[in-house]
Amino acid sequence: MRIKKRRAGQIRESIASLSAGLLAATITPIAGSAVAQSYSNSDSNHNRDTFGPGIAYSELDSALLVYKEGDGRVQAIEPSTDLTVHGPAGQEISLGFVFDAVSGATPNGAVPSDLPQTFVTPVKAQGSTATVTSASGGSTIIHLPPSPGDLAAAALGRQYVVPANALPMDRGFHDHRWAINFGWSQPMGGLSEVGMGGGYSIEQDYRAITVNTRVAQNFNSNNTTVSLALNMELDSSFPYGGVPTPLTAMNPQWKSPSSRGKTQTGFVLSLTQIVTRHWLMQLNYSFDWQSGYQNDPYRILSVVDPSSGEPLSYLYENRPRERQTQSVFWENKFDFGPTVTDISLRYFKDDWGITSKTAELAERIDLSHSIYVEPSARWYQQSAANFFDYYLVQGQSLPAYATSDTRLGKFTSLTYGVKIGFKPTGRTEFYVRGDYYRQTGDGHPANAIGQLQQQNLFAGSKAAYVLIGYTWDFH
Amino acid sequence: MQRPSSQPMVRCGISLAVFFFALAMCSGCVAIGPKPWEKDLMARHEMQPDSYPLQTAADEHIYFSKEASSGGRGFAGGGCGCN
Amino acid sequence: MKAVVETQPPATGLASELKRAGGDFLFAFRAMATPCEVRLESQDAELAGAVGRAVEAEARRIECKYSRYREDSIVSQINNSGGDEIIVDPETSDLLQFAANCFKISGGLFDITSGVLRRVWKFDGSDNVPDATQIKPLLASIGWEKVSWSPPVISLPAGMEIDMGGLAKEYAVDRALGAVREITSQPALVNFGGDLCVSGPRSSGARWKVAIESVEEDGRVAGLLELADGALATSGDARRFLLKNGIRYGHILDPRNGRPVKNTPRSVTVAARTCVEAGLTATLAMLHGKHAETFLKREGVRAWCVR
Repeated sequence: MRIKKRRAGQIRESIASLSAGLLAATITPIAGSAVAQSYSNSDSNHNRDTFGPGIAYSELDSALLVYKEGDGRVQAIEPSTDLTVHGPAGQEISLGFVFDAVSGATPNGAVPSDLPQTFVTPVKAQGSTATVTSASGGSTIIHLPPSPGDLAAAALGRQYVVPANALPMDRGFHDHRWAINFGWSQPMGGLSEVGMGGGYSIEQDYRAITVNTRVAQNFNSNNTTVSLALNMELDSSFPYGGVPTPLTAMNPQWKSPSSRGKTQTGFVLSLTQIVTRHWLMQLNYSFDWQSGYQNDPYRILSVVDPSSGEPLSYLYENRPRERQTQSVFWENKFDFGPTVTDISLRYFKDDWGITSKTAELAERIDLSHSIYVEPSARWYQQSAANFFDYYLVQGQSLPAYATSDTRLGKFTSLTYGVKIGFKPTGRTEFYVRGDYYRQTGDGHPANAIGQLQQQNLFAGSKAAYVLIGYTWDFH
Repeated sequence: MQRPSSQPMVRCGISLAVFFFALAMCSGCVAIGPKPWEKDLMARHEMQPDSYPLQTAADEHIYFSKEASSGGRGFAGGGCGCN
Repeated sequence: MKAVVETQPPATGLASELKRAGGDFLFAFRAMATPCEVRLESQDAELAGAVGRAVEAEARRIECKYSRYREDSIVSQINNSGGDEIIVDPETSDLLQFAANCFKISGGLFDITSGVLRRVWKFDGSDNVPDATQIKPLLASIGWEKVSWSPPVISLPAGMEIDMGGLAKEYAVDRALGAVREITSQPALVNFGGDLCVSGPRSSGARWKVAIESVEEDGRVAGLLELADGALATSGDARRFLLKNGIRYGHILDPRNGRPVKNTPRSVTVAARTCVEAGLTATLAMLHGKHAETFLKREGVRAWCVR
C-alpha cells in the first residue's frame, strides 16, 4: 500500500503549498513576522527551505571545471566554492572563492603566412634572466641591444617562431587567478529584498574589484518579482612588458605606463513572473557602460604587402576607450512533470557595432527520484565590431581603431552538452556535465590579398569541458 | 573608422527600460499567476531562475573569454582579464 | 484516512482557566473533545485573558461549524442534504477544496467521505472486529470521486457523508494562532490536544520545549522536542484500537477497502510550517503502514516515529 512513486519531496512540497494556500486565504499574516515570511512560497532564489521555518541552514556548493581547447590551445582548470548561510527571517550571507590556472597557446592576432614568422614579446620579469615557460612554449630568450642613450644592461626579450601556413600562436601563455566574492541580502523596510555584494579578483597581469547592490519587490501573491541591480567594476591591467602604445610596432622592450585602468558601471532590471502553475519566466534588460583601457595589450595585427599579402610588420591593436552595451534576456522554464524545459534567448547590442543573438535549450529528465539527465544545446551568433579586420594593408592610412581578435569578429558558435545529476539524499546533490563548444567563421574572405587567399584566417576555437559539482545543505 | 554616436542607442535603451517597467507594473495590477495552493511545482529547486549558480558562473566565464557579449542573466562584467 | 471514532460527543466544557506558569500565562479550556491551551509569554494578565478568550472563541467557532455531532453545523447540513446542492461559504469552500486536493495528492488515501466506516469500526479496546459482510456495503458510500464538487457548490449522493475530523483540529490551531497574532506579537504557543503551533521563538530567542507523551499508558514522557517556529502534529493509536487474537488493529482505516492499515507506527509526530500541513503529513505517514519511515525520509519531512 504505497502512494504512487514520485520525485522525492514532491508530496511534502504539494502539501506545504496547499496548506500555505489554505491559511493564507483566511489569515492575514502580520507584516514582518518571521512565520509570515514562511507563508510565502516562492523566493526568487534559494527556495530550498527544507528545514522548516525559523531554522537557519547553510548551503555549500562546490564545482570543478576542466577545460581544454583543440590544437594545443588554451586549457584551464577552475575549482570554485560558495557557502551561503540562510537566517531564520530571510537573511542570506554568502562567501565564495574561485581559483583558476590557465595555460596553453593563444592566437596573437597575426595572420598566417606561407613563410615562417618570428615574433618577440617582453619576458615577464623585467631585467631578470628568468626563463619563461620555455619548456612548454618553445620560446628562446634573446638579448636585445640597449636603446640609444640607455646605459642600463641589455634587456631581454622572448622570441618565438611560427612555421609557414600555421596560425600564429604564442605558446607561452600561463596564468593563475584568485577571486573572492561575498554577498548579503535580507528583507528590509517594505522591500522584499535588499542586498549588497562585492568581489576581488587578482591574476598575474590583471586585477578587478566589483561592488553591487540590488533591491527586489514581490507582488501579486509572490507571482511577480521586480528587481533592480546596480554594479560597478574597477579594473586594472598591468601587462608583462608594460602597456604598449597602440598601433606602434611590436617590440620586446619594456614600455610605460606600466598599468592602465577601466571602469564599468551598469544595471540590470529584471522581471520574474510565475505565469501558470507550470511556467516561470524571467525578462531582464541590462545596460553597461565601460570607460578606460579596453585593449588586449599582447595582441597585434599584421600589416601586409598590398599585392603579395606577405606580412611586413606587426602593430599593437587599439580599441575605443568607451563602450556601451545593452542586452535583453528572456528565460522560460516549463515543468511538465517528469521533465523541466529551460529555453532562453538573449539579444545583445553595443556601440562597437557588435550585435549578437543567443538561444539556449536544456531539457531535464528525471529518471527516478534521485537521478536526472539533462541534455542541452546553445546557439550563438555575433557580428563583427566595426573596427575588426583580419589584417591591415601597407600604404593605406591607419585607422583610429583596429583589432583582429576573434572575440570581436563575426562567427557562430554551437555548444552541445549533457549533464547527469544524483541526489542521494534530499540534502545533497552531485552532478557531472560534459560540453563541446565550437566556433565557426569565414576564414576565406572574398577580398583576401595574395597569399592570404590560400590561408584560413579564422582563429576561432573548439573546446571540450567538464564540470563536476557537489552541493550540500546542512544546519 | 569613426565610432558611431551613442545617442540613438541610449535613447533606445531608455525607452526599452521604461516599457519594461510599465510591463512589470501592469503585471502587478492584473493578477496573473497561480493561486498560492497551486505553486507546488514552483517549489521545485530546478524551477528557480538560476538553480545552479556555480554552473552558470563557469559557463559565463567561458563565454566571456571567447565571445564579445556577456551578461543577460546578470552583470556584463567578467571580473577577470580574459577579454 | 483518519477514521473519526470519537466514542462520545465532544464535551461542552464551559470551565476555562487562566493561571501563571513560569514566566508565561496559560489559558486552558476544553473543546473538540480534547484539552486545549494557549501559552503566552507575558506578564500582563489582561492581555493573556484577551488572548485566551480569542483562542477559545475560534476553537468553538470551528467546532460548531464543522462538527458532525452538531445538527446546526455545515457538515451536518451537507450530510443531511439527501443529494441536494448546497452552496457553501468561502471558508468551507477553501477547506473542501483543500480536502479535494489532498485526495488527489494521496492517490485516494486521504478521503473525507470515509467517516461512514465508524458505523462498524468502534475502536474501544474491545475485540469487536467487523467482518467483510459488514464492511462491504459501506464501501459503496465511500469515495470523494463520487461527490459533485464545483466550488462553491457541493452535492453529496444520498447515503454518503463527509467528515472534517481529520482536518478541523489542526485547522483550528492555525486559525487560533492567527487570532493571537492579531492581538499581540508576544511569543505564543497554541496546543489543542497535542496538535500545536508556535508564533516564533521565545523573546530571548530560546526555543519552546514540548514533551512528547509516551505511547505506553503509564504517562511517561517519551521525549522532549525544542521548537523555534512552526507546528507539530501527532497521529497515533495510543488509546484507539481493537485487540483480537493478539492482533492490534490501529484506527487508521484505508478507505479503499474499509480495513485498518497494517503495521502502522504506534505514533508519528511531524514538524512543519503549519499545523494543517503537519497533521496531514502525519496522517499520510500512518497510511503507509510499515513504510511510514521510508515515506517520511523520502519526502524530507522532520518527523519522529514510534513503533
